[in-house]
Order: sequence, then structure tokens, then C-alpha cells
Amino acid sequence: MSGAVEYFQYVLAPQMLIGLVLGVAVILVALGLTIIFGLLDVINMSHGEFYALGAFIAVALGTIGLPFWLLLILVPLVMLPVGYIVERGLIQRVFHTGERHVTTLLLTFGLGLVLEDTFGLVFGPNPYKPDIPIAGGVEAFGIFLPSYRLFLIVIGGAIIAAVAFMVYRTRLGAMVRAAAYDRHMAASLGVPVQHVYAGAFAFGVALAGLAGVLLAPIYSVFPTMGRDFILIAFTVVIVGGMGSIAGVVVAGLLLTQVQAIVSLYISPVWSDPIVFGIMVAMLMVRPQGLFGRLGHG
Amino acid sequence: MTYYRTTMIAALLSATAISGAYAADPIKIGVVTPLSGTYAGIGQQVKWGLELATKEVNAAGGIMGRQVELTFEDEEANPSVAVQKADKLFQVGKVDFLTGTVNSGSTLAVGQVAERAGKLIATTVSFADSITGDKCSPNVYRVNARAGQQSAALAVWLSKERPKAQVFYLGPDYEMGRSTVAAFKSSAEKVGASSTGEIFAPLDSKDYTQYFGQLRAAKPQVLYTSVAGNDTVRLFTQLQEFGLLNNLTVVGASGTVTAQNIGAIGKAAEGFVTGVGYSAEIDTPENKKFVAAFRAANKADPDLYGADSYGMIYAYKAAVEKAKSTDTDKVRAAFADLKWSTPQGEKTLRAGDHQAVQTMYVVRVTGGKFKIVSQVKGEDAIGPDTCKRH
Repeated sequence: MSGAVEYFQYVLAPQMLIGLVLGVAVILVALGLTIIFGLLDVINMSHGEFYALGAFIAVALGTIGLPFWLLLILVPLVMLPVGYIVERGLIQRVFHTGERHVTTLLLTFGLGLVLEDTFGLVFGPNPYKPDIPIAGGVEAFGIFLPSYRLFLIVIGGAIIAAVAFMVYRTRLGAMVRAAAYDRHMAASLGVPVQHVYAGAFAFGVALAGLAGVLLAPIYSVFPTMGRDFILIAFTVVIVGGMGSIAGVVVAGLLLTQVQAIVSLYISPVWSDPIVFGIMVAMLMVRPQGLFGRLGHG
Repeated sequence: MTYYRTTMIAALLSATAISGAYAADPIKIGVVTPLSGTYAGIGQQVKWGLELATKEVNAAGGIMGRQVELTFEDEEANPSVAVQKADKLFQVGKVDFLTGTVNSGSTLAVGQVAERAGKLIATTVSFADSITGDKCSPNVYRVNARAGQQSAALAVWLSKERPKAQVFYLGPDYEMGRSTVAAFKSSAEKVGASSTGEIFAPLDSKDYTQYFGQLRAAKPQVLYTSVAGNDTVRLFTQLQEFGLLNNLTVVGASGTVTAQNIGAIGKAAEGFVTGVGYSAEIDTPENKKFVAAFRAANKADPDLYGADSYGMIYAYKAAVEKAKSTDTDKVRAAFADLKWSTPQGEKTLRAGDHQAVQTMYVVRVTGGKFKIVSQVKGEDAIGPDTCKRH
């Protein structure tokens, strides 16, 4: 019996904690994606590059001496107008055609490629790594966790809670959900739908940028970093339900825990196929995901 | 008037005739190297090394009076792209020789393209032993030290500094990763070290912390790793985050910590030891001259990729001058056991497997720079010729 407890304490629990940090990171990236997907019905293939943009802005502002804590507030604020302009200037132009899904997918894919190359041109191909703002670690019950990773879990949870609160308990959130459910009715009831769309897109990419800043000290910053998370973020969005915040949280935690625990027993190359296998199974069995769509679930 | 015009025409014709005699067609060398993607930093060093050598050779009159012309194509560290670009350079660009491949898979694939095109290629970066070992080709040469030489040198150092150490292995899951781990494992076990486990993580893994449980359980004194580029930044900084670097000697392949990523790794790289074929610190007049010229041209120090690529041009020059031709078979004969001088001393291109034999250096990262801590003679590090196609 004590063998099982020891196993849990020294092998499983640390692994689950590591999976939790990764889960929070994935949720932060996927949260913006699901809001954009759920509300605008836009598949944002450049979402990874906005995550990278946040990290690069943090690197640039960090080199002129701004402290990390200021960057956490500044970078999302800078990303908001960027996202707003991208939505009004680029996505709106292809939004009202019949093949909206194809054109926005191609548009955002192209945007992602342009952004990735721009990072390479401006910052060079080599990686940057901001210093970890909280050094050292904490040890409890024989399990060690670096302090910054603990901070990530805490602040990630706080951000997710704040977003959920905003979407489900404020008037702004109600407008967003109404526009997702029936944009014409919402418009006729006085909801400024154009601004809601652009604002939601801006909010989504600002979240991705914030994730970029938070994760830069542990995952480093380089032009192709957008590809780190994009596939698992899409998987989480699909498994959780496109547009569902609860879905992203549950699916994000579930998938990263599966990845973390499975990697203890089988070769790491299988972790991606298993995650995508779950996505394929979900699409076949229950295409709306665990929780359905924003405004509909 | 007519006399004047005739003289003018005669003068013009003779002027063109004279310049025509000097305008011999250039020797074309194709370069397929990653200019974008994860290995772009390496491709940049390759480009700088080749360009510096070409400039020097051309300024001294070229090779047999012909200027050397480099044509660059981006292989994106992807073997299928490298094959397309190599084909393009051979068929359309009509290059006489090709070099620049970084990814070991690309070198092997482009070698097959070269065999079909009847031309020679050389790599100045790829480490995988198989390139001059069991997958050798009569058209492929390697001017840089391979994984076996690096690990032999490193193993010699390890047996002195950490005798009978317990070693844990972590490599990227592809040709280079698997072959470097296998090469060091066999060299280390021969000098008395024991292996306590190995992990192969996918390339571009962002989070190595999921393997730390296994690493801790194995309780090694030494960690050998052959990750490269961004993966090294993440592995080392995450090891440091989790306090795993405190009692661990980290050694690895020469490509693991380089000028491109050492800045981002920062203090987590301190104490890292590797076996290399080159260090900018080598204290010879030829190397000091090379480093100064490289710094002046590129505002950066050369690393092993820059130095080996620089040496490549001089090797080709020596071979073509010995063969008095750029014909493939004649140059191949000239390359056999060719000795030429490079910034890191004299190298020999072994006739059997086309592998360069050279002095190996053991370097340690101290204060953010690579300091030489030991040297191993070429013959001791090279290992046997296992190529079966002669």
C-alpha cells in the first residue's frame, strides 16, 4: 500500500503537476482561439503567431529596460489595437462571402506566414530568453516545483476565471454571447455587432499575446515558436467545443494530463498521435465537442 | 579618316580580345544550406565561412585562373527540400560541386542526387557517422569531424575527469540524435562509464520537464545530450529551473551549445563540455588570422560551422589544382588522402571513406565562452574505416 502512495508522491504527482503547468499554458492560448472560433466562426490559423508576437514585443520592451510585471499589462494592451485592426481591416473584407470558412482560413494562414517571416527578419533566427522573474522553487510533500511555474498556475487560473466571469456574468459578455447566438437579432436589439466582433477578435489575440509573455521565460522566443502550441490549441478547442470556455478548460486540463501521464510509460513520440487520436474520435462521435458552442451550450 | 577609323576598330577588337582571354568561365559551387527555420543560424555561419574563403581565393587569382562563384539555395533543414534545390543546382545551375547541407538526412539524400548527376558534394556540418560509415557514397565527402570523433575525444576527457561515471542520455529523436548518443555510449563504455538510461525526445519539444522524473530516478553523475538550437535553450534552462544542474556534469555533441544559442541559454550553459573539431580560441597564427578576417567581415566570431566551411573551399582548391581539372573522377582521385592546411591545423581526407581526420579539442563553457581544456590527436579520435563502397 505504501508502495502505491510513494509511487503517487514521487512519480505520478510531480508528473501531474508538470502537466498542470502545461495545461494552464495551453488553456491560455486556446482561450482566445475558442472565443474567435465560437463568436466569429473564424478559424484563426495565425493564432500561434499572435502568441509569438506577444513574446517578441515583451523581448523588445524588455531590452529597453521595462520590468517583467509591467510587460504583463502592457503587452496585451498593445495587442488589442493590433487585433482590432486585423479584424476590421483584413477579416471583415472576406467575411461576407459564401465561402467564408475557406477564405478566412486562407487569409489567417497567410497572415501567420507573413508574421513568422517578419519575426525572422526583424529579430534574426536565433532564440532569445528573458530571465525568469521569480527564481528558486518550492518544495512540499517531497515534490519540487519552480516558483515561476507555480506562479503560472496561479495567474493562469486567475486569468481564466476573469475571462469566464466577463463572458458569463457581465453585460459585455452577454452582448458577445447574444451576437454569437443570433447576430441579426442582437443587432436589432442595439448590440453594436461590428464592434463586438472586432473587439472579441482583439481580445482573443491579446490573450494569446499575454500567454506569449508569460511563457517566454520558460520556453524561449524564436520566429517559429507559434507552431509550438497551435496544433494542441486547436485540438483543445475542438474537443472542448468551439466557443465554449468551460470546454477549453476541461479539454485543456484533460489532454495535457493524458500527455504527461502517458509519457511515463511509452515513448514520447506517441504523445502527439494520442492527443490527435482523441480529437479525431471526438469529431466522429460528438462533433460539437464536450460542451457545444458559445451562446448555444 | 578611314585610317583613323580602322585603327579605332582594331584597338577595340584587340581590347575585347585581351579581356576575352581573361574571362574564363567561373567554377560554380552550389550551396544548399538552411537559410530559414531552426538551423538558420548554422546556415548563416556556413554562408559566412564559404564567402570569406571564396573572396580570399578569388582575390589570389581563383582556382587555376578561374574565379569561384557561389550560388545559394535554402534547404530549410528539410531533406526533401534539399533534394529539390540540389537537383535544381545540378541540372539548371550546372554547378561543378555542391556543399552546405546541414541536416544529416539532407546530406544523405543530396548524396544520392549527386551520384545520379555524376558530381561531388561535401558537407561541412552534418555529424551522423553513417554519412562516411555504413551509408557512405563515392560522391560524398565530409570536411568536418563526425560524431564518432567528437565522442572519442569527449570520452577520453571523461575517463580522466569523471572516471567510472554513471551517464544518462537525452537526444532528439532522429538520425543525428540517435547516432550521436550511440557513438558516445560506445566510446564511454569502453573507458569504464556505465549507462543508467536514455530518452529520445521529439525535435522541437518545448517542455523537457516531463522527462525529469526519469532523469532524477536514474541518479546520474553525467548527462550526455545532443539536442541543438532552440531545444538546447529549453532543455538547459528547464534543467536549471528544476535545480537539476547542481550536481550534474553536462556533456554533449558539439552542435548542442554554439554561438547561436549560448546567449539565450545564459548561465545554464556554464560547465558544459564537448568535443569539437574547432574553437575560435585555438592559438595558432593561421587561426588568429582567420578569426580576425571573419570578425571584420561579419561582426561575429566564427564557430565550427564557419571554420569548416571556410576550410572546404581550400580543400576543393587543392584537389582541383592537383587534378588540373574539375572533372568528377579526376577530382575524386585528387581528394584521396588529400592533406591541406586549415585554421585548425592540417587535415587529411581519408581515401576509403572520405572522412576528414584532424586534431580534436575538448572545450568547456566558462564565463559564456568556450575554453579549450584538452586536445586529442587525429589518429586517436578517428576510429576505423567502415565504408564498404570504395
